[in-house]
Amino acid sequence: MSNLIFDSVTKIFGEGSSKYVALENINFEAESGQLILVVGPSGSGKTTFLTIAGGLQTPTNGDVKINDSTINSLSKKKQTKLRLEKIGFVLQSYNLVPFLTVEEQFKFVDKLKNQNLTEQKMHELLSDLGLLELLKKYPNQLSGGQKQRVAIARALYTDPDYILADEPTAALDTDRSMKVIELLRDLAHKRNKIIIVVTHDLRLKDMADKVYQIIDGKMTILEK
Amino acid sequence: MFLAIKEMLHEKLRYSLIVVLIFLVSYLLIILTGLATGLANLNKAAINEWDASSIVLNSDSEGRLQQSFLSQDEVASLPNNGTRISQYSTLVKSENGLKENAQLVALDSKSFIFKKLKITSGSKNIRNNAGVVSDKFKSDGFKIGDYLLVANSSLRIKITGFTPRATLSALPVVYISPDTIQSLNKGVTNAVVFKNTLNNSKIPKGTNQLSIGSFINKLPGYSAQQLTFNFMIGFLYIIILIVISIFLYILTVQKLPNLGVLKAQGVSTQYLVLSTLFQSFIMSVIGVIIAIILGEITAITLPSEVPIVIDKSNIIVTGIGIIIMSLLGALIPIRQIAKVDPYKIIGG
Repeated sequence: MSNLIFDSVTKIFGEGSSKYVALENINFEAESGQLILVVGPSGSGKTTFLTIAGGLQTPTNGDVKINDSTINSLSKKKQTKLRLEKIGFVLQSYNLVPFLTVEEQFKFVDKLKNQNLTEQKMHELLSDLGLLELLKKYPNQLSGGQKQRVAIARALYTDPDYILADEPTAALDTDRSMKVIELLRDLAHKRNKIIIVVTHDLRLKDMADKVYQIIDGKMTILEK
Repeated sequence: MFLAIKEMLHEKLRYSLIVVLIFLVSYLLIILTGLATGLANLNKAAINEWDASSIVLNSDSEGRLQQSFLSQDEVASLPNNGTRISQYSTLVKSENGLKENAQLVALDSKSFIFKKLKITSGSKNIRNNAGVVSDKFKSDGFKIGDYLLVANSSLRIKITGFTPRATLSALPVVYISPDTIQSLNKGVTNAVVFKNTLNNSKIPKGTNQLSIGSFINKLPGYSAQQLTFNFMIGFLYIIILIVISIFLYILTVQKLPNLGVLKAQGVSTQYLVLSTLFQSFIMSVIGVIIAIILGEITAITLPSEVPIVIDKSNIIVTGIGIIIMSLLGALIPIRQIAKVDPYKIIGG
């Protein structure tokens, strides 16, 4: 059972008159098998929350714990390794390496992790996501929805405990957005992952197990 | 280096353009280095063949053989293991009308220099107005047994042998005996060459000992010529550095968002840096190899009058130089990569 905990996390940018509190005393907990939505308007601190959760930034105060070990005290190198092994990122754009085919995106992960291409695993994953026929295609030959599904498959390929998704539906229409979020929910439930989706799209609210709202750096849980 | 290779294969045009630029500059560099070496050899080849360490000349000669005249007393007070050199620049003609500007160099047939001379054909005989001549004469049509008629004199030198790499101040050398040159320079000794370096106490007053390296640098026009070439060669290295830097910088700036995302996904900065260095290395190696091949072809096809020498040491030094410049050129893009903050790319 994995968990992700924010313990009184505050993030402040700048000093003096340019001081800006991006996150204020955030307490947050996520467990395996949950799809969690973090909603809020632009500039509310959603992405800051996500990047701290992914070890890309360190909080000014408070701790971020993954499976009860504090990640903000790890060295940059260890944080990078943690991201490679435990965390999958799905982003709004630039998700995929533009000069690698879908198949090579997975091979690249293998190279990074010094493992042999587990074709069966890759095929299973792509088959589950309906992407098998796209193996030889480059990202610029895929539609927006296909790109996001490949990015999700790639994030899942390392079998991470967490998937952190930043506005994964921003470039998609309603129908495709719902399909992507359904896919993420199924993955959370069936593969027992923690999936945190940061979005300003309130249409997705009903699909999540928990919904948090961030406004002006303050987080509250929303009743569904 | 999976990422580096895949990117280069996918972006063939972009990377080919950089390779072409590296090739063009490398080609120019190899040709210039070849010319610099060829011209340097023309000036000093004969001196190198002497395999000497030092030369004693008149103090007022500014290190130049033609301007140095040693008195009999000065020569006699020097150790007797040196080779006395008399030199005379002139035009020589064959009986059938061939002409050649030449350096007549007189030395004793028992001297260490003469003993070291290699012969490509004929015999090593300089007695009775005979001469061992540079093989340049051979390539210009002179044959063993031909007579060289020395301009403005009645001296006739019979060619007995050809010797390789015998040019001095860009002119082919004719090795003759001191007796033969007597009629041209009245038996003046211009310098004494030693296999070893003499203790200063053995250098008579009014003379000066130079190392062979210093003597070569004082050959007329030699230093100016080599400095000019070195300046051009150095400048071309800088051009390679700048070209690689600019191109890799532009390519890196274009892919910064991707690099940021890769970092967010757990790809280490070290991996991305090595990837860029690898690309720079591969491009320079390809560019250099093409330049070497075309440089060799150029050297073969150029007329023999063009003094170009593309030898192994030139190729190795130039190749390594270009590759080092290319790797240095990747430093600025590498700095960009190291500075990419995935947080900023993701949009915090």
